[in-house]
Amino acid sequence: MERATSLIKIPVTLEIPIGPQHPAIHEPILIKVYADGEEVVGVEIGTGYNHRGVEKLLENNTFYKDKFIVSRICGICNTVHENCFVRAVEYLAEIKPSPRAEYLRVLVMELERIHSHMLINAIMAEIIGFDTLFMYIMRDRELIMKAKEIVSGGRVLADFHMFGGVRRDIDEVKRDKLIEILKKVEPRLKYYRKLFENDPTISKRLTEIGVLKTRDVVSHGMVGPILRGSGVRSDTRAEDRYDAYDEIKFNVIVRSEGDSLARMLVRWDEALESLEMCKYILEHLPSGPAIVDERKLPRTFPAGESFTRVEAPRGELTYYIQHTGGSKPYRVKVRTPSFNNIINSGFSYLRHSIADVPVILVSYDPCISCMERAIVVNLRDGVEKKVTLKEIAMGKVKL
Amino acid sequence: MSIVKEVLKNLLSKPITIEYPRKKPTPVEKDFRGRHYADLKKCTGCTLCAIECPSNCITMEKLPENIKLKHNPRGLYPNINYMSCVFCYRCVTVCPVDAYITTNEYRLSSVKEVFSRELTLQTVRE
Amino acid sequence: MSSIKEIEDIFSSYIIGKDTVKPNRPRFHIDVSNLKEAITLLKQRFGEEALYISNIIGVDKITEGIIEVNYFIHIIPLANTIVIKVVVPRDKPQVPSLIDMIPGAYSGECETYDLLGVDFVGNKYLKRSFFVPTDVVSRDIFPLRKDAKV
Repeated sequence: MERATSLIKIPVTLEIPIGPQHPAIHEPILIKVYADGEEVVGVEIGTGYNHRGVEKLLENNTFYKDKFIVSRICGICNTVHENCFVRAVEYLAEIKPSPRAEYLRVLVMELERIHSHMLINAIMAEIIGFDTLFMYIMRDRELIMKAKEIVSGGRVLADFHMFGGVRRDIDEVKRDKLIEILKKVEPRLKYYRKLFENDPTISKRLTEIGVLKTRDVVSHGMVGPILRGSGVRSDTRAEDRYDAYDEIKFNVIVRSEGDSLARMLVRWDEALESLEMCKYILEHLPSGPAIVDERKLPRTFPAGESFTRVEAPRGELTYYIQHTGGSKPYRVKVRTPSFNNIINSGFSYLRHSIADVPVILVSYDPCISCMERAIVVNLRDGVEKKVTLKEIAMGKVKL
Repeated sequence: MSIVKEVLKNLLSKPITIEYPRKKPTPVEKDFRGRHYADLKKCTGCTLCAIECPSNCITMEKLPENIKLKHNPRGLYPNINYMSCVFCYRCVTVCPVDAYITTNEYRLSSVKEVFSRELTLQTVRE
Repeated sequence: MSSIKEIEDIFSSYIIGKDTVKPNRPRFHIDVSNLKEAITLLKQRFGEEALYISNIIGVDKITEGIIEVNYFIHIIPLANTIVIKVVVPRDKPQVPSLIDMIPGAYSGECETYDLLGVDFVGNKYLKRSFFVPTDVVSRDIFPLRKDAKV
């Protein structure tokens, strides 16, 4: 009997499902990672766990009901959804909101941007195992939630917009309360920003991880802080100058590094920028009417098409409405930033280790309920994988 | 050094969290969008709120036999199912006679379905 | 606005119609066979790092028997989104895929195929139950078509 003289080990590509329950952020998405040892060689992004057929629902309801349905597409970024839909309808009907209403809209959206950016930074801290920081950021985020409650009457869901204006106004007492809160938040934001920049634990996990080149980011259609973290100056607020953004000064934050840390720092800088905007708004709020009487609004809107863009915390959010007359829209298309950012992101996980996958995912700020769908197969990696196995089978690789 | 300061500060400070159901409720604003119900002294039973409700949680019901209201000829009143209500306050803002009473009560969770029927009928019994 | 005119010049031999989507997005109607050339010209003019596909929106026009496919292309230097509209027949909706030129077209093409049944020729990743639940897929209906009862 012949004795075995050597042992042949075949490196098996591991298939690791990350998700669909809580892959990194607490939302349903499946990231199927194919790993060769520790190295990621292929990624499939599987979603569709959360598809609710919102677009069909919007076609079957009146504009007024749609206004409330769209703000429930996503909890975190509900006012930007509202704003985008409301402005799309306003362009159709050629209604113009009063200056005070425009300022208040921007106030709510900027408050929302601050708390959304704080949330994703907190989650990033949790993912890299820095739970104390998570608790700290979430504690301070609560102040912003309170500010949003003071302005809009809801901690999360603002329901603040209405065609031609807003639904609530703020008085002097509320204004002072808001300024007080913003004063408390400002040093904390600055502290966290410094922490993310200087802390060795954070920088070890985030620098040089998930580097995206400008060319890849643009050609894959990624938007928002990802785009700006890779050195592209593109901000819908600066490009479209909707609502009161033409009067309020702000800087577009751009960083050129393109790694996960750059994206997180862009978010902190944007949050600080938003804070300044909120202060400016509260000090320069124009007087005049802001609340629109909903009983006097038209039942139907003129036919037409409109396409609006809003800078959501996660990037460019767009609404397209085609209306053929009557009280219901003919077609509404919602394209959320996460739809582009997550579905097209399959290429970016490659050649990183498995432990970095959640970090990269979180640095894109995924919002699955916004995206609500999709599966990505990155075939380039599939080919790579096959070649390796073939080579092994043909004995080209020395075992 | 800063960590020692942070630890001492946190040891000596009050907890930031609230033991929610056991102790006092979470502080909310006076005009927080909470439980709302129709005031039968004003409601005309026009069903506009039921038509406009985005979550279809308002059903119009017949008033009981013993209540007759002059301003409500059809004898209808809105009954809100708080379990499916999304608290957008569309009914409040669209009401032509401002018949809705709003509160900041948010503690509505329950194992049974909760309706506004009792609260609404109380407004004329008083 | 001169730059919008420039795009018009680039497309001049392909344009079969022109209008505006509110508030200020210029829209060019192009025959479906010229789509790829038009996008290539656009890419040559502005470079690879200047434009991304923001949206691919299909609209089912059941009364006219057509499906409109609108490509919303955001051009960063112009700070505006332009629209290219192609029209395909409803019973045989076929559009050339742009995925080999712009990989960002992937999400939009897959979604439009799954929800409206527009076939993007050349896109190997198209599949049903991308978003749509399997029970709807098994009945072979495209939910966003106007005659679909979901």
